[in-house]
Amino acid sequence: MKINDLEKLKNEGADALPSEERRRFLRFGLAVTGVFVGGSVLSLTSARNAESAMGPVPAAGSFPYSPHYTMVMRQNRCIDCERCMEACVKTNSVPSYGYRTTILQQEREIGKGEKERVFMPVLCNHCNRPPCVRVCPTTATYKDKKNGIVMMDYKRCIGCKTCMAACPYNARYFKEENRAVDKCNFCFDTRLSKGESKTACAAACPAGVRIFGDLTDYNSEAYKLIHKPEKVVWVLRPETGAMPNVFYMND
Amino acid sequence: MKRNNKSVMNMVGLVAVVGLLVFSSLSFGEEAYDEEAYGPKAPIVWAKPVKGVAFVHKTHTMDAGLSCEDCHDKIFEMAAGTAEGNADFTMASLYKGKYCGACHDGQMAFASNTRCATCHVGVKGYNRLTGPAPQGKDAGKKH
Repeated sequence: MKINDLEKLKNEGADALPSEERRRFLRFGLAVTGVFVGGSVLSLTSARNAESAMGPVPAAGSFPYSPHYTMVMRQNRCIDCERCMEACVKTNSVPSYGYRTTILQQEREIGKGEKERVFMPVLCNHCNRPPCVRVCPTTATYKDKKNGIVMMDYKRCIGCKTCMAACPYNARYFKEENRAVDKCNFCFDTRLSKGESKTACAAACPAGVRIFGDLTDYNSEAYKLIHKPEKVVWVLRPETGAMPNVFYMND
Repeated sequence: MKRNNKSVMNMVGLVAVVGLLVFSSLSFGEEAYDEEAYGPKAPIVWAKPVKGVAFVHKTHTMDAGLSCEDCHDKIFEMAAGTAEGNADFTMASLYKGKYCGACHDGQMAFASNTRCATCHVGVKGYNRLTGPAPQGKDAGKKH
């Protein structure tokens, strides 16, 4: 491609940028608030005010699904009691060799000779741009058009495991019983479709770590949590540009 | 005279070196952990109401300078498992100043509703400390 041809390309807009690119830009302490058609920057503002628009949390009103399911992890409350995992196994008949959700553990240096233990619950992040869906050759894994849950259709899965390789969150395993890949689906078939408002793991958590909710409901706890002022909210592996819907914070 | 001076100096030097050794062993050396004075060496691990809470006597007695009477038997019974059997052995009680909450109130020691993972070692920590056979994904794996 000649460099002059670049100008003729269609402007993809700022929301298609991978988070990594945005972050690199944020390091200048500025955020783009206006762009000319053609991609040259029209206006900038200090990143402090634009953080919500530029960080991992999409700007209010830009949630493509209804309900737009999310899970907020208040990470510092996790005590690894693993009741969430037990509830998940029971609800979704997860075999012993796999998991739909698990808890990672980390020892962090917080000073000279001082260490702190950190527990991090992980599950499928139900990304807005899921790498697993992109690579599936048979559309066995797909994004539900209504609620955005990344679903699995066992009948169409041929067990090629490409999705397992593509997932940035290691959230998939091959379930021998189904001869298909299995993963978290926010308990859609086992609970949500039966009128429950919470996933099994969120209902089982005694410490209020997992807050399950709908981002299009501005009164939901999940929405309020990730839009709290002065709170740092992060996602795992933002550099993949997958735009996950599981957010982490310490409260 | 000179000789005397020299021997005196030597003596002083020797005393100083010995003194330094004795002093350093007192202040920097590993003091032997005495279970009689400081409580059991093995951590106390609770599995109820949630799995995996560890209490280390050494941290509280030898390092922080509490005596046995500070907790036993008013706050905690000496007999193992007593607290665990009580229905009120919960975080809510701690916030009211019972059990660990007697000191862990944010004044004397860090508050019980902060720094969760300092005491909560979780199922992973519980398995590490009590050592049952690994289950699930780790089954049959040598660590």
